[in-house]
Amino acid sequence: MSRSADGLVLRVSRLVKRFADDGPPALCDVSFDVSKGELLAVVGPSGCGKTTLLRVLAGLSTPTEGAVFLGERTFSRPPREVALVFQDYGRSLFPWLSVIGNVMFPLRRLPRSERIGRAEAVLEQMGLRHVAGRHPWELSGGMQQRVAIARALVSRPEILLLDEPFASVDALTRAELQDVLLQLHGEPEHRRVTIVHVTHDIDEAVYLADRVLVLSPAPGRLVGAVEVGLARPRSQTITRSSAQFLAVRNEIHALIAAQPAIRSDGSRAG
Amino acid sequence: MSGRRLPGVLVLAAALGIWEALARARPSFLVPPASAVFERAGQVWPTREFLATVAASLERLAAGYTIGAAAGIAVGILMGASPAARRSLEPLAEFLRALPPIAIVPVAVVVLGLGNGMRIAVIAFGVCFPVLVNAWEGVRTVSPEARDTAAMLHVRGRELLYRFFLPAALPSIVAGLRVALSIGLVMLVISEFVGSPDGLGHYIRFQQSQFNVPELYGGILFLGLLGYVLNTLFLVAERRLLAWQDGAAGEPVR
Repeated sequence: MSRSADGLVLRVSRLVKRFADDGPPALCDVSFDVSKGELLAVVGPSGCGKTTLLRVLAGLSTPTEGAVFLGERTFSRPPREVALVFQDYGRSLFPWLSVIGNVMFPLRRLPRSERIGRAEAVLEQMGLRHVAGRHPWELSGGMQQRVAIARALVSRPEILLLDEPFASVDALTRAELQDVLLQLHGEPEHRRVTIVHVTHDIDEAVYLADRVLVLSPAPGRLVGAVEVGLARPRSQTITRSSAQFLAVRNEIHALIAAQPAIRSDGSRAG
Repeated sequence: MSGRRLPGVLVLAAALGIWEALARARPSFLVPPASAVFERAGQVWPTREFLATVAASLERLAAGYTIGAAAGIAVGILMGASPAARRSLEPLAEFLRALPPIAIVPVAVVVLGLGNGMRIAVIAFGVCFPVLVNAWEGVRTVSPEARDTAAMLHVRGRELLYRFFLPAALPSIVAGLRVALSIGLVMLVISEFVGSPDGLGHYIRFQQSQFNVPELYGGILFLGLLGYVLNTLFLVAERRLLAWQDGAAGEPVR
């Protein structure tokens, strides 16, 4: 997927984030662009500021210095065009609502018939139709995270932010969810959705992404951007065993290994 | 009747039996046997006059409980959701909640007189604080992830209070409402002790002054049963209201 000049959706410019005025920065001078339809992964060791970066992109946190542009504008609270899927589905899904109630929630200003129609379409796409009337806690972790993704998609965001979305599920479910993500990113109607996916799993990043950004240990700075260039559609067996997959993966490992593993105090886990 | 309930019923029956035996062993005007109390209750309770007095009490309780619960929920959620509201209201709320609610009765009589308004206000006061504290606590313990989720879903302003904090804090609020129910009953009886023309508190007080001892005991018995029935109804309502919580993270429905 090439990054065409007209399709720039997100620009991060010299971003610095500090949590205390005189404290160490969690993010240090981070700049990158994300283009329309791109699937961008951000990897780095624990505590390097990945989650902090995503929170700033989501509008949940404001930059201390620098700026984030959505198209032409900056923002100080979550923009309508952005949806976020959290790692902890157990806390992000509303337990008092059914599965379809959760998925319809972002559409609460729309007429009821439209809400139901759109929610059902997304549930169908995510393979959740048969559990629409259940409560999230009745479902397995993998299914709950599908509900969270469905809720993020139903408002038709331009940008989908994923914060370690598959870190809390078992390995088989993780592989399954990775393919769900690839599929929805590849589907024509969702072709335009841009995904920024934060993970500490380098293999996952390479398997999913068009491009992988590598952050250093805290304070997080950008130490490399690796083009993945693997053919799509990708498959767990063929793609992951290809020589190119291994080469990209090793390149990223080398970038991370080249960083000093010292962490300053006060860094934020992420 | 299930076998699990049997021991409880046996102890209850034994207590009544001991009461009956002791009262018969040493007959006293002041401690009538259980059978005499029940016999008199069977005559008095169905009368129009007694039922009217029960109705008067229930109306006061319903009004006071509704007002107190609504105020407690509203202010508690506001204090949990808004740091500014918390800072300005916390000292006052902590002071008022530390007061034994019964102590407010003489003040209420002076300020509001001896009418229904005073009684409803006193009940509402007693009910308000356990609900307020639980609503506040329920909102305060909502996880940061859940708050972030609400922010990402653009839930803001008043909508944040009733679409997010209210349901999120509901299990805690319901626990407060249950505590408040028994406090409401206490405040009802106390408020009817002073200058009331009717109601169960008045009834007990009146029978005592007339030395109608079986009627006095019968009134107490009725209050106990009323409290039990209200609590049972509450649990049924709670189970429906919090059906979603069954098995969800957090404490299960009791």
